Amino acid sequence: MASTSKDNTNNCTAEQSNVTDTLEPGACSESILNPTDSFEEFASEMSSSLQDRDSSLTAKGSTISEIQSEIGESSKENAQMKNTKSSDDLQSKDGAMSASASNSNLTEQNGVDEDCDNEKDDYLQSPELVNKEKHVFILSSAGKPIYSRYGNEDKLAGLCGVIQALVSFIEEQNQDILRSINTKDCKAVFLVKGPLILVAVSKSNESETQLVLQLTYAFNQVVSMLTLTQLNRIFEQRRNYDLRRLLSGVERLIDNLLVFMEKDPAFLLGAVRCLPLPEKARENITNAIISACNKIRDLVFAIMIAGNQLITLVRMKKYTLHPSDIHLLFNLVRSSESFKTAESWTPICLPKFDATGFLHGHVSYISEDCQACLLLLTVQRDAFFPLSQAKHTIAEKLRRSNCLVAINDALNRNEELPTTNPLKHIGIPEIRHFMYKSKSTAQLFTSDPISLDRLQDYRTRHKEGGDITVKKIEKLSDIDYVRNYRKFCSQIHCTSIPAKLIFRSNSHDTVIAWVTNGFELYVTFDPLMEKDQAIRAVDRLIQWIKKEEHRIFIMNAPTF
Amino acid sequence: MSRCDFKVVLLGCEHVGKTSLVIRFVTCSFNGNAPYQNTIGAAFCAKKMYSKGRDFNVGIWDTAGSERYESMTKTYYRGTHAAIICYDPCDIYSWERLQHWMRELRIVEEDCKVYLCGTKKDIVDSGAAAREVSEETVANYSKGLNGHFLTSSKTGENVEELFQKVVDDCVADLKLMKDVEEHRRQLITIEPVKHKRFCAC
Ligand SMILES: Nc1nc2c(ncn2[C@@H]2O[C@H](COP(=O)(O)OP(=O)(O)OP(=O)(O)O)[C@@H](O)[C@H]2O)c(=O)[nH]1
Ligand SMILES: [Mg+2]
Repeated sequence: MASTSKDNTNNCTAEQSNVTDTLEPGACSESILNPTDSFEEFASEMSSSLQDRDSSLTAKGSTISEIQSEIGESSKENAQMKNTKSSDDLQSKDGAMSASASNSNLTEQNGVDEDCDNEKDDYLQSPELVNKEKHVFILSSAGKPIYSRYGNEDKLAGLCGVIQALVSFIEEQNQDILRSINTKDCKAVFLVKGPLILVAVSKSNESETQLVLQLTYAFNQVVSMLTLTQLNRIFEQRRNYDLRRLLSGVERLIDNLLVFMEKDPAFLLGAVRCLPLPEKARENITNAIISACNKIRDLVFAIMIAGNQLITLVRMKKYTLHPSDIHLLFNLVRSSESFKTAESWTPICLPKFDATGFLHGHVSYISEDCQACLLLLTVQRDAFFPLSQAKHTIAEKLRRSNCLVAINDALNRNEELPTTNPLKHIGIPEIRHFMYKSKSTAQLFTSDPISLDRLQDYRTRHKEGGDITVKKIEKLSDIDYVRNYRKFCSQIHCTSIPAKLIFRSNSHDTVIAWVTNGFELYVTFDPLMEKDQAIRAVDRLIQWIKKEEHRIFIMNAPTF
Repeated sequence: MSRCDFKVVLLGCEHVGKTSLVIRFVTCSFNGNAPYQNTIGAAFCAKKMYSKGRDFNVGIWDTAGSERYESMTKTYYRGTHAAIICYDPCDIYSWERLQHWMRELRIVEEDCKVYLCGTKKDIVDSGAAAREVSEETVANYSKGLNGHFLTSSKTGENVEELFQKVVDDCVADLKLMKDVEEHRRQLITIEPVKHKRFCAC
């Protein structure tokens, strides 16, 4: 399991530096986001037994019905929810089996690839499918294809049958869970969730945990469209159901989510990016939302986002959102052109918040000249018109207080903003790239804030006075840096011997990965840096983040 | 409470062209190059229309045709004054599904006016795709309904006519108009002044 890189990797405890005396940049006593570390969660997912797996999918109490009863809305919906709940308890088909938590990590020299050859299935050799860095398949536990990242899943029925047979063979014969198959240059990772089997076949450098995380996201994307309750019920009633009937359009969402996860470190770190804004502007936006919405009793969350970044989140007291639910909302908004043309009203299930039921979302863009999208999520399915009115009030206020301009400036990366080109502003020329996560608030800042939409390397775009050519930087994009961090990230999150500080220097670059109680930081420097020099630069970097924290992060946790 | 006088809902299979129809009607445009994207949940639009010498705000719900939202769709047709059920003449399945909405609608809103709308007339006319639903079948079926139109969102043909007919029928309905007047009075007493621009989308 341990990485066998020849690099000079140094694990040592964090050195006390002067910046940690004060609160870490971005730290805040109360958070809008639930900062539970998803890595720990996935690590436990991977070591769970068959029995744990089944019991983890039976519904806990429904947060949505809790809210409904709290605001005195014992509506029909509530009753419906209860009815369906009984059928929601996954039958414990493995009740008689003894639990075993051992890992079935089959490592075979001639793994799946050759099996496929034996099958003589020509389609598996077609250009649509070969030479892809990462495949993702979703199938039902009966072996029916539901989704394939590449190619046509209809033609993959044979492959899905093989996957299903493998998974159930291990379960039935070995009373164990098939987690992964490793071949020379490729790993296949399996995840069985409720009635679905998800598989990633990857040639990338992502760890098993990272792949499981991605599969879990794909599963949650399906749940967010159907709810877990409905998903379970469908397959209880008809084990052979073709789920694609209910997932039209969701394929596009999963496609985009997979790309998004490969590019954006937010997934890797389980954190949310915020749109950098002047503190005052963000405060005005938040207040506009609160004053327009505070009379709407059944509103649970009001979320404003732009370009996969959070602008603000106002919430009902007691409730927070998990970063992964926000990522699904980012993905939904980013993937749906239809939100731009009209106000939408749609059921949305946020799996971490409550996988058993739908929230109802009013989704609209703030105005034609501002790409910020407002989501108003409620437990009341008839609330469209009051929310629509609230939205218009908010939009009007933001326009009058110049907040739309502030949002547009940030989105268009106005040159005058310190956060537009942080590296230039910080003025430490050796730093090529960094990403910083504030752990207590699950928020993230990277040196290329809108990497996803502007993929060009801004260092070359902004080259001035020839200093870039002097340093002869290879043209790396944000994505390349993120790929590079993956390995360090999994060492830091390794459950057996987690590293606190990793310093690695070679002729390509120098990387520092550092985790404390308050933050996680990954920095790429020029090659062959000395450790002392790098640590000093990191100190300065952290001081800069501290100085700009009110612009970069959401430092409070407003409620209605 | 809605500020609209009339509530119109569009129903029909996915991909029949409901969203294109609304966009053509509200913004007078059609983008044939944009790849198809299914509607998520439902989208609301409003447009001011003129009938019998007066202005009316018409609220239009463009629902998602995907089976996934079927159980939700009821929420959208509750209280609707008119329903436009769309089918694609070159897609027999979309015609067969039509009866499903008809039944559902009758259960929830028995008084609501029902219009049939065959979409993509430009394709039918050009012969680019073969008609799978005969004119005769449609004529027979639409006898008991409030109207049938064959529209093209690409050219705009019959789109205005369809919605104008819906509104004219509503205005001609005395019982319905009594409710509309009552609704307007309530709005004024609940929220005085200031609500002019609300329904523009
Ligand atoms: N040529 C032509 N194409 C049309 C016409 N109307 C719709 N289309 C095309 O048909 C496809 C589906 O149109 P939509 O309006 O998105 O369908 P919909 O009924 O809203 O689908 P759902 O939202 O999934 O229920 C799109 O690719 C449109 O461009 C038309 O009048 N003529
Ligand atoms: Mg549509």
